Amino acid sequence: MSLRRYTVMRFIQLLVTFFIVMTLIFILFRLMPGDPGVFLISPKMSEAAKETIREQFGLTKSIPEQYIFFIKNTLKGEFGDSFYYGRPVKDILFEKILNSIVLFTFGAILAYAIGMTIGKIIAWKRGSKTDTFFTMVGLGFWTFFPPWLGLILIWIFSYRLDLFPLGGMITPDVWAFNPTLSQKIIDFLHHLALPLMAYVLMWFAGSMLIMRNSMLETLREDYILTAKAKGLKDKVVRDKHAARNAMLPVVTSFSMSIAFSFGGGVLIETVFSWPGIGRTIVDVTLLQDYPLAQASFMVITLAVLIANFAADIVYAYLDPRVKY
Amino acid sequence: MGIIEIENLKIYYKTVKGYVKAVENVSFNIEKGETMGLVGESGCGKTTIGMSIMRLLPRNAKIIGGKIIFEGEDLIKKREEEMEKIRWKEISMIFQAAMNALNPVYKIENQILEAIYAHENISKKEAVERVSRLYSLVGIDPRRAKEYPHEYSGGMKQRAVIAMALACNPKFIIADEPTTALDVMVQDQIISEIKEIQKKLQMTMMYISHDISVIAETCKRIGVMYAGGIVEYADAIPLFKKPLHPYTKALMNSFPSIKGEKKKLTPVPGEPPNLLNPPSGCRFHPRCSKAKSLCRKKAPKFVEYQHRHFVACHYVG
Amino acid sequence: MKIIRGKSKTWDLFIKSTLGKVGLGLLITFAIMAVLSPIWIARNPQIYDPLTGKDPNVFGSIPPTMAHPLGTDQLGRDLLSQLLKGSQIAFLVGISVGVFSTSIGTLIGLISGYYRGKIEIVLMRLTDIVMTLPLLPLLIVISGIFGRKDIRMIVLVLSLAGWTLAARVIRSQTLTLKERPYIESARVSGASNMRIIFKHIAPNILPLTFLYMTIGVTYAILTEAGLGFLGLSDPTISSWGMMLQWCFMSGYTFKALYWMIPPGLCISALALSFYLVGYAMEEIVNPRLRER
Repeated sequence: MSLRRYTVMRFIQLLVTFFIVMTLIFILFRLMPGDPGVFLISPKMSEAAKETIREQFGLTKSIPEQYIFFIKNTLKGEFGDSFYYGRPVKDILFEKILNSIVLFTFGAILAYAIGMTIGKIIAWKRGSKTDTFFTMVGLGFWTFFPPWLGLILIWIFSYRLDLFPLGGMITPDVWAFNPTLSQKIIDFLHHLALPLMAYVLMWFAGSMLIMRNSMLETLREDYILTAKAKGLKDKVVRDKHAARNAMLPVVTSFSMSIAFSFGGGVLIETVFSWPGIGRTIVDVTLLQDYPLAQASFMVITLAVLIANFAADIVYAYLDPRVKY
Repeated sequence: MGIIEIENLKIYYKTVKGYVKAVENVSFNIEKGETMGLVGESGCGKTTIGMSIMRLLPRNAKIIGGKIIFEGEDLIKKREEEMEKIRWKEISMIFQAAMNALNPVYKIENQILEAIYAHENISKKEAVERVSRLYSLVGIDPRRAKEYPHEYSGGMKQRAVIAMALACNPKFIIADEPTTALDVMVQDQIISEIKEIQKKLQMTMMYISHDISVIAETCKRIGVMYAGGIVEYADAIPLFKKPLHPYTKALMNSFPSIKGEKKKLTPVPGEPPNLLNPPSGCRFHPRCSKAKSLCRKKAPKFVEYQHRHFVACHYVG
Repeated sequence: MKIIRGKSKTWDLFIKSTLGKVGLGLLITFAIMAVLSPIWIARNPQIYDPLTGKDPNVFGSIPPTMAHPLGTDQLGRDLLSQLLKGSQIAFLVGISVGVFSTSIGTLIGLISGYYRGKIEIVLMRLTDIVMTLPLLPLLIVISGIFGRKDIRMIVLVLSLAGWTLAARVIRSQTLTLKERPYIESARVSGASNMRIIFKHIAPNILPLTFLYMTIGVTYAILTEAGLGFLGLSDPTISSWGMMLQWCFMSGYTFKALYWMIPPGLCISALALSFYLVGYAMEEIVNPRLRER
């Protein structure tokens, strides 16, 4: 089977999983006692608005029919109106997702690049002082409580050194007065720096420790001896032969830990007041804005599934032995 | 003058329990164009000798003493960068393919090309042509060079590994148990392949195996190893006709005869010694039926008992 | 190689590992803190109760004094009391989730690895799905829906969602163990499936189970603390996550480092100590990681 067919198959699997998760969410929200409309109809709404929602989500119908309405609406991206913002949920979510994607993607790429690089180097020099040092640092950061890490970074870099803003994504004052594009970018990067640093510190340790272990196992393989015997330079043996194979388990662990990483993302976004989906789900839950909370959760789950899917495709691409 | 001369080689492994005396005072030489076989039970130090010539011993191994002279120069004194140039170009190895000697994530052609490019400045076209010539030589369809190792059968992988070893026209090849994990049928094919190539290219080879019948089939000259030392070193025919060392005799009785004569197989009695704390004197004495008190006290010298026939035993004959 | 070894040998290897010793030392420290908690509070519950206590002489958060070695929060509650109590809560949550989730994972891993076929496919697909559930957001939404924030519910959800990693690893270990000759001989001699699973295979995966239990504990401690930090944990208990939340919310974060540092440090250090114990254990369970 070709990589393309594998991708298609894996995508179908993704859809099935998402379908099951949607069903779970539906059941979860219907487990609540009382009127199912509680989750879609705000007491503040006008009678006419309430009626529209009941119509759209089939709330007067039987449970199985409601389920069909629910699936249809989800696939269309219709989650009703946010109680708090009074606007359609999908409009609000769209920008929040973008904000999260920027932070998460940059953070993950940087953290994994740094972690895997250090991991392969310290495994090559196993037993050295560098190895011990980075292993210790890695173990320390691996279990660092994310919001506390964020607070400490803010305390050092914003509060004491005054190098970065305390939080948020932009400075409203800068953006209010027709800034140039470069001003906008600089302001954004200025805000991005600290949360990004938090992400990187939080995640590099995991990839580094796994890479180190995986390298140690790979270095015992016979093809490493073959590579050395071929007269290749140490660096070529390390990077082209050992690291290339050792990164496979790192990709697997990435795909398995994505869901957990998203939890850390929620905390980081909250500490840094980053207007992403993670912070939104916390805020709207506290505000009891159920339509937005439900949709946020579904979007986060979908993001996990997509990231998982991407990791699996990358894996299949990296390992020719994968039997599709 | 041999192409490779080993003098009093001594290699220890450092372990938590102490030093493992893996190779003790080993000396032999291999002449140009000759195939030398190194045979002995597993753990007797044959692979350690092979790896020490490549200077690819594990990190905890240390060459305590001796010389490894290759074309007049001592490899032990070479710097790592000098060794990188010698590896594969001058001395290459045929590994056991069944043990993952090929990197699973790269196409085999690229793994061979990589070795060529590391040592020679030639165009891609020439290099690719050479790979297909090598493939024809070892008997695989050159079109299959663009496949990954997992798409090959065990025998094909072993052929590819042989092709790779020949890629830079090395002067000396070390073959370390190249057929051990293969089916008997495939094993026979590979052995005759190696013999044929050896004849065609006039290669100098060291063939390491625990199987004396494989060694008998492939090698002109044979070194028998026991517990870190060579106990007997001679040309194949005199060795099989009249083995001098008790261990060689025992070893021959434990394998079926190559000529197919029916005889009773008797395993070598006893266990191989623990090299952390090897027996005093002759290391074979606890398992030797002819051992006398001298054997416990004094290690026998490795002497040329007859022309080109070396042996280390107090009571030869 | 049989994984299980004499108890004393595993213990010897473990205690030789520096990281294992550090982890164990930290664990003991936190255990002592948990034990001291009631003693410290009992001196004067009206002042020292972590939730309802209040020192009448204190207004706002104060830095460490003789009476309050770590200071107080903005309501005049003793921070040391909260910290000691927090250790109890963290152990309680961590260990119960660790035990429950690893038990579920072990059982699912054993069954799917042993029976193969349809059972395996169903269980492994289930594992994949549960593995993709983002746990913290799920807990956030659940606590929002049910409005009632109960530590037992948190433990339940964490346990029901946290078994997947253990299940995967134990399944593949079971697959290899199943092929061992002594399992075959047990089967030939007429042992029932249950007997083979629990008498012959289970003891051999016990070290792995313990290893994944430590990982489960680490993740439970961090997730519960995260929930506490977001103000979504059980309000009737005082956990480290909530201490940090009170500090963050009351605006004292950077003015009162005596308040901000200890809870975060404790969360990280306790999580680390369990992780270190697991890490040291992995080097024993998986000898391939050791230097040859």
